[in-house]
Amino acid sequence: MGTIRTIRTIISGLSLVLLPFTARAEWTVNLSPGVTEVSRSVYDLHMTIFWICVAIGCVVFGVMFWSIFHHRKSKGAKAHHFHEHTLVEIAWTLVPLGILVAMAVPATATLVKMYDPSEADLDIQITGYQWKWRYTYLDKDLDFFSNLATPREQIGNEEAKGDNYLLEVDRHLVLPTDTKIRLLLTANDVIHSWWVPALAVKKDAIPGFINEAWTRIDEPGIYRGQCAELCGQDHGFMPIVVEAVPPEQFQQWLAQVKAEKQAEAAAAEKSWTLDELMTQGEQVYLRACAACHQPTGTGVPPAFPALKGSPVALGDVGAHIDIVLNGRPGTAMQAFRDQLSATELAAVITYERNAWGNSTGEAVAPSQITRILEGNAETAGEGAQ
Amino acid sequence: MRDNSILRCWRALLGVLAGFFGVRSEAAREQDFKEGRALHFVVIGLLMAAGFVIFVIFLVRWALSLSGV
Ligand code: HEC
Ligand SMILES: [Cu+2]
Repeated sequence: MGTIRTIRTIISGLSLVLLPFTARAEWTVNLSPGVTEVSRSVYDLHMTIFWICVAIGCVVFGVMFWSIFHHRKSKGAKAHHFHEHTLVEIAWTLVPLGILVAMAVPATATLVKMYDPSEADLDIQITGYQWKWRYTYLDKDLDFFSNLATPREQIGNEEAKGDNYLLEVDRHLVLPTDTKIRLLLTANDVIHSWWVPALAVKKDAIPGFINEAWTRIDEPGIYRGQCAELCGQDHGFMPIVVEAVPPEQFQQWLAQVKAEKQAEAAAAEKSWTLDELMTQGEQVYLRACAACHQPTGTGVPPAFPALKGSPVALGDVGAHIDIVLNGRPGTAMQAFRDQLSATELAAVITYERNAWGNSTGEAVAPSQITRILEGNAETAGEGAQ
Repeated sequence: MRDNSILRCWRALLGVLAGFFGVRSEAAREQDFKEGRALHFVVIGLLMAAGFVIFVIFLVRWALSLSGV
């Protein structure tokens, strides 16, 4: 009974290996051929080297098994004792050397291609933060953060997990197809690594350094990736989503984003009620702050302080606004002035002052934040203009 | 006398080359240890290591110029 089952398992295992090629195209264990010329040549290189290794394995193990079988003890084989054989030693040094050189030729060709970011039509700066990515479209006056969008309930197993669990973000990195795009990678705090398998781009983002990579996407589509350098508590919670669209659609998207930005600035000028601010503030809080300060506002002392009952959240508004806008240098508390809009900042501060039993009853108006941001920007921006 | 030291250097060079390659017969190895001078091996070894680095630098340059970088 047991042996029959074993034989069956082996046969079904073998049939997997012998599946026709078409069926294996769906097989996702292998490297992805991707959607760029570079990713396809990386894939081809990988397959070439793989088959070379398979051939070497067959020859080496074949000779070994044949020798063991042919010279078995029951046939009266006697081991032949000798100390050295210069000719054989030279052969087993030269043959691998030849194989390595043969592999180095296509590998070098692929590497040279990967490392040539010259003549790009679009420059994107990618900055790693704990734990999100920031995308700056250089010369396009566009800059935004991309946060994890998977609901906390799914992470906490309170809800069924979605198809793109931990691989979805609030704002995609939208890129045009058929355009050479240069990626400039750096980080704000610790080392991260920007990795999108379908583009065959995996590059470290290091504070104080700028690494270059490039891509030219052939097919429109959504390509997902992750941070590939252990960067702290939420390293697995800072995915990457690239959305490749045809160039005309990319221009439309640029125009639309700019219009949205203006609408947002206008919205900051209207007057907001406490309830409106609280509703939006909760959303912002869960997205941007809850990873450290926790959804309940209790934090994870001593690493991340509680905001519930915190002297900052209950005390002077000015000090509260200051820490959220400018962060506290040298701690995990980042400056959120560039990450959130004036309305979002006002809403989240209002929320922190009135949630979880913090009841100051105070609302911070978005226009108040706009004034502060403008005031600082004037002094800070003088050099840049 | 002079010939002898040239011959020694030549043997040390062969020994170092064999070391780089990784194959040397036992008889030759014994002769190296009996007749060779350690200083020759060290100096020639360092020179050849430097030579190898220069060779790799040129190899990389050549590969890059081939691919038009
Ligand atoms: C990466 C973790 C992290 C995130 C995300 C984060 N904070 Fe903090 N926050 C901290 C740490 C750490 C401190 C304590 C800083 C210190 O040592 O002074 C802090 C302190 C604060 C304080 C002062 C609390 C006190 O009692 O001293 C406020 C207010 C605050 N954060 C608000 C926010 C808001 C609003 C957000 C979201 C927009 C946010 N934080 C997101 C880590 C974080
Ligand atoms: Cu990271």
